[in-house]
Amino acid sequence: MDQAKLREIEARCTQEAMPRCRARCPLRMDVRAFMEHMADGKLREARKVLELHLPVPEIMARICDHPCEDHCLRRDLGGSLAIGALEAFCIGNADKQSKSFPRAPKAVSIAVLGNGLAGLVVAFELSRKAYPVTIFHEGEAHGTLLQRFSSLAQEHVAREYEGLLKAGCTVTERVLDAALLEKARSGFTAVFVDADAAAGLFAGLGAAPDPATGFVTGNICAGGMLAQSPTGALYASSSKQASEGRRSAVTLERLVTGVSLTAERGAELTRETPLHTPLDGVMPKAPVLPQGDAYLPEEAMQEAARCIRCECLACVRECVYLQKYGGYPRTYARQIYNNASIVKGGHLANALINGCMLCGQCTELCPERFSMAELCLSARQDMVTRGYMPASAHEFALEDMESANSETCALFMGDPGGKKTVYAFFPGCQLAASRGEQVLATYEFLHDALPSGEGVGLFLSCCGVPAHWAGSEEKFQSGLARIRAEWERAGRPTLIMACASCLKTFGEAAPGIPTVSLWAMLDGHLMDMPTKPAEKTYCIHDPCAARHDEAWQKAVRSLAAKCGVSLEEPRRTGMETACCGYGGLMWNAQPELAAVAARHKADALDKPALASCIMCRDRLVASGKECLHLLDILPFSKTDDGSKAALAAPPGLSARRANRAALAGRVRVTYLGGTALSVTYRVTMAPELLVELERKHILREDVERSVLAIEAAGARFCERRSGHYVGSWRPRRVTFWVRYSANADGTYVLHDAWCHRMTVPDAGRPGSLP
Amino acid sequence: MSMSPNYTPDDGDWICEACACPLEQQKVQVFYLESAFDVSLPACPRCKRILIPKSLAEGKMLEVEALLEDK
Ligand code: SF4
Ligand code: SF4
Ligand code: SF4
Ligand SMILES: [Zn+2]
Repeated sequence: MDQAKLREIEARCTQEAMPRCRARCPLRMDVRAFMEHMADGKLREARKVLELHLPVPEIMARICDHPCEDHCLRRDLGGSLAIGALEAFCIGNADKQSKSFPRAPKAVSIAVLGNGLAGLVVAFELSRKAYPVTIFHEGEAHGTLLQRFSSLAQEHVAREYEGLLKAGCTVTERVLDAALLEKARSGFTAVFVDADAAAGLFAGLGAAPDPATGFVTGNICAGGMLAQSPTGALYASSSKQASEGRRSAVTLERLVTGVSLTAERGAELTRETPLHTPLDGVMPKAPVLPQGDAYLPEEAMQEAARCIRCECLACVRECVYLQKYGGYPRTYARQIYNNASIVKGGHLANALINGCMLCGQCTELCPERFSMAELCLSARQDMVTRGYMPASAHEFALEDMESANSETCALFMGDPGGKKTVYAFFPGCQLAASRGEQVLATYEFLHDALPSGEGVGLFLSCCGVPAHWAGSEEKFQSGLARIRAEWERAGRPTLIMACASCLKTFGEAAPGIPTVSLWAMLDGHLMDMPTKPAEKTYCIHDPCAARHDEAWQKAVRSLAAKCGVSLEEPRRTGMETACCGYGGLMWNAQPELAAVAARHKADALDKPALASCIMCRDRLVASGKECLHLLDILPFSKTDDGSKAALAAPPGLSARRANRAALAGRVRVTYLGGTALSVTYRVTMAPELLVELERKHILREDVERSVLAIEAAGARFCERRSGHYVGSWRPRRVTFWVRYSANADGTYVLHDAWCHRMTVPDAGRPGSLP
Repeated sequence: MSMSPNYTPDDGDWICEACACPLEQQKVQVFYLESAFDVSLPACPRCKRILIPKSLAEGKMLEVEALLEDK
């Protein structure tokens, strides 16, 4: 990713865009921050915001004609915030917060002709930056503004004049005539003409100021013109005059410093904002009006509290991963970019990159279709390519994938009756790991239900998506190549897929292989039966991998109805469904967060759930939710006691591997004339211990092989009081340690196990790889 | 990054069974990615085989592994 690409990605997230009030404020007042402090009763903090954004705040906060209010997002939800009145309340009830520090005056001079609002703003802006400003005016100095804006009092104007004098301004009474203009033009570095207070001079300039910059000609800027109402009446719009003053101040500064007058000023006149604020759950609230002439503190707080605090976060509100890192896609994009640019030093965003479920929900919720998944996936690929991917992030999951694709667990079987294999059932590695029985029942059903001319095979394999999620494109592609070769050898059957992730993966990465979802296949013609009256109601949970697969979603709902199940749709369903925590290998890289994701998903489902993906089902149940898999209710694969099945604990990681091997073994015995393999373990352990070990990604198989390797090498330590043995074994990039006792019959009892990735010479020697 | 140097067994009275020697603390180097650390660990004085206590593997080692992976 280069800088330009980053900008393009960042720009898609509108979270940092201005709320409408601010976009409509010609002075870019941060109304949202102001309202937040006001609602908290923090008047001084609120005033700081005013002073930061409004020029001559004592004046401006009292007279602003608040064009923002018409566009406040609250407008249609009870009524716009009283932004102008609250600003006036704040300025009147909190003392000045900012301090000015005298600075050495710069060696230029600015003349302001006319002390209207625009003129004062020019003087205010420039004198704060230590430009010496001389204000020329006619008549009594304070009078100009007092006449123009009747709500102002003498003291407010006096306070700002005091500030201007302190900041080094000179205020001089003169007749504002052509002679003065001529003198100013030649005697000062740059000149501002106030179109309201020096209307005659302004008319004599001959040219109108450029609306974007206020520039007229030579070293002259002008602004502060009267505005015209829709009926044609001329009036002084304070916000317009002040903003013209501010724009001219920028131009004058550029004039005297020799900078381009127009460069990078495109945004100053923008009134629209791309910010998208989700309004679901925002209730209408009527304005809080002052009971007397002006707001009381309590009333002001209540009114300010009506502010919606416009912001987007549409994606963050729904995704536990986006919430975890405290930012939003725009800031994350920057962090991910920085992570990739670091040569030495902490890769602080590794966890951010590896935490995303790659589920695509954010893209669906984002009005600009920001894709965190794309961002994280390409960052992962980059890390893998450059050798920076932490082993702990995905290695274990990739080993699991290898195991699922090993000879013991994977197989391709053509139609056992010798017919041409037109279809092959592809249950996916996780259904095989969790539901061997049902895989076989489904296979048999398909085999019997499909027309007799169409042979049905069985393909036990992992689709390889874990490698894709891990950013290991090479592994992913070589896995696909192996699958493709099998498929070709088998005569290119259509694959009937039971896993949404497999289906999506093949669709995206192996478009030449024809696939169909098991559900669409069943619903389409194999289970052509009428809807049954509903006996049960479940909440449907769509798998994130099927969010764009309408056929999948439709078939699942239809099959449920045919089985007498009525379904309730949760708030985020179909296209907007959330991930269970399995996607993107979050379960491996950040298991705690993955558990939070499953619970978050479970909490959104009001009734016991029905899932069509086995990982969703198993993860929801592990989080304490009652959940059935669609196979649990279909007639050919149904479990007898539905309510028990909905709570049946999913197999642990070790059992999943063993189950895959067992399923492949059964297929070999049943259809291929193989002999039954029996697996016996010599090391036993308490079930709770296994659960704890699996949390550390230590499997039963690892323990078994460790003990046997240690015993074979006679390389064990002994603790003399307990008689426990300890030894280690390093079969791959992990060293396993086991603590166990030996029984007289050649079996062992495991007491504990631990592991580490660091290497220690002389530890883990038995069986260690050269 | 550093690993404080001395780690003794989590419990008990350990011997190397093959050598029938009680374990003694011994200076060794442990490695991860491109880093090495000097630590003192229980080891058999004869065959030099080393014991990594669980508390070390799941405590300091895990922490240092994570830090190095993100370096
Ligand atoms: S949905 Fe998320 S990514 Fe999209 S604009 Fe909003 S905060 Fe940004
Ligand atoms: S609701 Fe608040 S943040 Fe939104 S436009 Fe209105 S004042 Fe601004
Ligand atoms: S987990 Fe899903 S919703 Fe959350 S950021 Fe990643 S792709 Fe988007
Ligand atoms: Zn020894």
